[in-house]
Amino acid sequence: MRRHLAVLLWRTVLAAVLVCGIGLLPRLSHTDPALTVLKARSAERDPSPEVLADIRAELGLDAGPLSLLGQWLGGLWRGDAGRSWISGGEVVPEVLRALGASLLLMTAALLVAAVTAVLVCARTLRLGSRRRLDGRRAGGGGSAVLAALPEFLVASVLATVVGVQLGWLPALGWYGPQWTVLPALALGLPAGAVLGRLLDDLLPGAFGEPWALATAAQGLPARRVARRAVRRCVPALLPNTGLFVVGLTGGAVAVEQIFDIPGLGRTALQAALAQDLPVLRAGTLALVLLAAVAAGACRLAARLLVGPALRDGALPSLHRPAPPARRLQPLVYGAALLAVVVLALPRDPLALDTAERLRPPSRAHPFGTDALGRDLLARVGHGALDTLLLALGVSAAALCAGVLLGLLPRLSGPLADTVNAVPPVLGALLVTAAVGGGAATPAIAVAAVAWTPLAAHTSALLVQERATAHFAAARGFGAGRWYLLRRELLPAVLPPVVRHALLRLPGIALTLASLGFLGLGAQPPSPEWGLLLAENQPYAERAPWAVLAPAAVLALLGALAVTAAGGVRWPGIRRGPGRRPEDHTSGAVPVRPPSLAKEPVKTR
Amino acid sequence: MSSRPHSHRLPRLPHRSRLAAAALLIPLLAGCFASGGGESGKDGDGGSGSRLRVALAFPPAERFSPYGADATLLSRLGVAEGLTTLDANGAAAPALAQSWRQKDARTWVFTLREARFQDGTDVTAAAVADALTRATEAEPEPAALSGVDLTAEADGGRTVTVRTTEPDPVLPLRLSSPSLAVFSGKAYDANGRVDPVGTATGPFELTEVDGASSAVLDRFDDYWGGRAQASGVNARFIADGTARANALRTGEVDIAEAVPVAQAATLDPKTRRDTATTRTTSLLLNAASGPFEDPGLRAAARAAVDTSALAEGVYEGYADPGAGIYGPAVSWAEGKRTEPVGRAEPGRAKGAPVTLATYDNRPELPEVAQVVKQQLEKAGFEVKLEVREYARLESDALDGKFDAVVLARNTLLDTGDPVSVLAGDYTCDGGYNIARLCDEDVDRAVAEAERISDPGKRQDAAMAAEAAVLGSDAVVPLVHQRIITGAGTSVRGVLLDPYERTLVGTGTRR
Repeated sequence: MRRHLAVLLWRTVLAAVLVCGIGLLPRLSHTDPALTVLKARSAERDPSPEVLADIRAELGLDAGPLSLLGQWLGGLWRGDAGRSWISGGEVVPEVLRALGASLLLMTAALLVAAVTAVLVCARTLRLGSRRRLDGRRAGGGGSAVLAALPEFLVASVLATVVGVQLGWLPALGWYGPQWTVLPALALGLPAGAVLGRLLDDLLPGAFGEPWALATAAQGLPARRVARRAVRRCVPALLPNTGLFVVGLTGGAVAVEQIFDIPGLGRTALQAALAQDLPVLRAGTLALVLLAAVAAGACRLAARLLVGPALRDGALPSLHRPAPPARRLQPLVYGAALLAVVVLALPRDPLALDTAERLRPPSRAHPFGTDALGRDLLARVGHGALDTLLLALGVSAAALCAGVLLGLLPRLSGPLADTVNAVPPVLGALLVTAAVGGGAATPAIAVAAVAWTPLAAHTSALLVQERATAHFAAARGFGAGRWYLLRRELLPAVLPPVVRHALLRLPGIALTLASLGFLGLGAQPPSPEWGLLLAENQPYAERAPWAVLAPAAVLALLGALAVTAAGGVRWPGIRRGPGRRPEDHTSGAVPVRPPSLAKEPVKTR
Repeated sequence: MSSRPHSHRLPRLPHRSRLAAAALLIPLLAGCFASGGGESGKDGDGGSGSRLRVALAFPPAERFSPYGADATLLSRLGVAEGLTTLDANGAAAPALAQSWRQKDARTWVFTLREARFQDGTDVTAAAVADALTRATEAEPEPAALSGVDLTAEADGGRTVTVRTTEPDPVLPLRLSSPSLAVFSGKAYDANGRVDPVGTATGPFELTEVDGASSAVLDRFDDYWGGRAQASGVNARFIADGTARANALRTGEVDIAEAVPVAQAATLDPKTRRDTATTRTTSLLLNAASGPFEDPGLRAAARAAVDTSALAEGVYEGYADPGAGIYGPAVSWAEGKRTEPVGRAEPGRAKGAPVTLATYDNRPELPEVAQVVKQQLEKAGFEVKLEVREYARLESDALDGKFDAVVLARNTLLDTGDPVSVLAGDYTCDGGYNIARLCDEDVDRAVAEAERISDPGKRQDAAMAAEAAVLGSDAVVPLVHQRIITGAGTSVRGVLLDPYERTLVGTGTRR
């Protein structure tokens, strides 16, 4: 009970810090809210001192942030979150309406993601449930490509092709169930691919467990074995699913824009840019609450799925039984990427010629040209180094922070939920306010959020690992904390988390570019990949090659990262007998403490 | 097996709760969609003519308050109107006022026509005077009234006398501003808010507003200018340009305003209409600090810029190469233009470092800036580009943090008066002087133009001031934008207006 209270207190402290941070945002970023509010109301208006003074008086800005915060909190007590500084309308109905639309969109996206995830691991499920995982070919290239696709690109392709050209589904609007399909696909496909990859990563371990052999021996149908394996692995993914749910509710700005959905992402974006603090506070608070609810729901679901086993320390370890056969795939992807870079090096990525704009691929321009007549091959190739180095650096930092914080779940759980719930623009603005607008700011802003899924993943795996019988045995033999961490926990946790981090590498490259409009990060005409995608997106229909080239290399990077990461193992440490991965290869029951009877899934 | 009960009970619980959650969700779902879908079922309602479906780019920011930018929306949708309006030549034309005369330098008398408010009451002189007085009391004051002290008085049933403390030669132009539209007494509440629903005088009556996502308008049958042909308007606010174009292409709307240049080619040529606007995209050079303090380098930058590459290469012909501060939409400007005076000899850039800033709210501007960057680099400058969101850029631009800014600016502003943009943007005291120009000749020429009341002579003086401003080379006009409006093939009578104040009128139908 006391533990729950502490977590609750910690959550409340975080929410309070966030609300205060929002209140101080104008002061920290040295931007007058009267000016930003005026510009949001009427962009063409000259900001004369009299006009700004009138707005300040109207909003009561002269009272100072503390008293404004006090007033707002006083109203909140009565369910009144004040009035929007821009429109003068009541905040609560506005935010609730946007939240409703966003939640619905998120629910639909979650369904799509679940289906996608199952499809991604269909092969592993089929082979695993029939005990034929050995010597399988490595897969994952396709799903990694899907995971690397930016949402806004999927969204605009779906809107144009399915919505406009084929006319099968409405291309924009938010008026009924059929309007939810395309946006849900745009959000759910990449996210489902990420979750599917993570699940696919764990499944072989589950199939290697003794119960699987036992059920096979009992002659249960493969379908049921597969279902149980999924159930065994899902708890490790639940925290990530929770983060995904909350992140989508507040951060699906691009998709909301393309499909014209009146969701919370756009509301929060507008409020953050205009420093409409009452709306921003209410929206953020709603998201933080949602994050807390989602985290609670995930914990509950995890307990329902593997609770007794967790309590009794009766879980086997989900070690991957065998590395899939060594293969050529990463080499092929790597060579293709390298070829693009090498071919591009002698070309000039910045030379523009508007007479040559939007030319399709030809001998002179193998990838075609962009809207300003620049050679796309040159841009893609020259952008590779910057994009990769920065994205790798941020990923590495996020990985370190994620694993370290993930080892302290009670501290990091609420922190990760809260940080993840903050709308991305607001997060970037707060980071900029805190560290200034230097060259490293965008990297810090992205890393500040990128660690959360990795920490959640680490914590989830850790909980399971601590509940394993071999862990209990090691402890029983008097192993110290440091030994346990080094020999038992990290070897089990680190490889999947590293693979997870690599899976998110292309996403990080995109997020870095998406901060450009705040004056952070790469600026045109830099050929950074995210920027390439963003600047060519408006021409996606007329010049598909202009988005195809950067999207293809990004997807290639995703596929390379995932296939190469298949080889990530815990290096150098020799395991005791019965703990060597090789022992699992044939699905033979390894030497285990005799606690199998307590396994819930085993008893059926 | 002690855990057997668990294993049976546990898998079912989440299943059951999932069902319960789904059942609970169903009634909630309806509330999560936006109301008033594509067809609101009001078709044919109110007699002849079908309803127009319009996609607008800017949602109402202040719940349709007429004192801010939303006034333009009310005017574009044919909801509200003022005493005067602008004609094609940028002169004041009669609207609610049938005629007007200047009594003395500070007094104008307007004679009203017979008209009705949408709530059924008559448009009386008292109501008009009250509406204008309320506008002067609004805080912050409407842009059209900035720097003007104005009082309005009813003078009998049909005439309104408007007095200003200083002589105001452009008062009739000023009163054409959408933010000085007239509403019936019912519209105004004690807190100074104005509710335009059913209280204006235009051909269409606002009946329903759904936040910032849509609005429903019905025809106002008693409109003084005759019954509109369309029985009503369903307006949707779609911020994304591609989404607006898509809405038109799928037939979800009949008219889509402000289609981005990048999307224009995807529209059927028969649905594409373009008009010149008073919006000019210019390169503003910081004349107060940095390399462009040197007039020689400003001249070198001006000479380096090739505007036709921009008009054709970036705007795909939906823009005219920069001719001056006023573009072809200001129809009188071309004939009265004089050569820029006092230009310096172009100097040598010798690798002078320049920070060029622009914003991405208008999608073409970053492209323009990149082309300009290359042109300046060819002339020997070292250019660093900075692209931000407008609100994040403006204060730094006004503080002179950049050496050059690419900016799109409406040159006739809120009053339709050509001089006010010169005074605001290029004089020492100007409130929006991003070029940070402070030049005696320019100030003198602008002050002279401000004093003249005869419209023709005022235009001459404005062109003389323009020549002085261009002579300083602090501003390099790049292109004059054309606005692309998409309209379904069967749509007739869309009001394409260089001042962007009208769109739907009595003759618009489909």
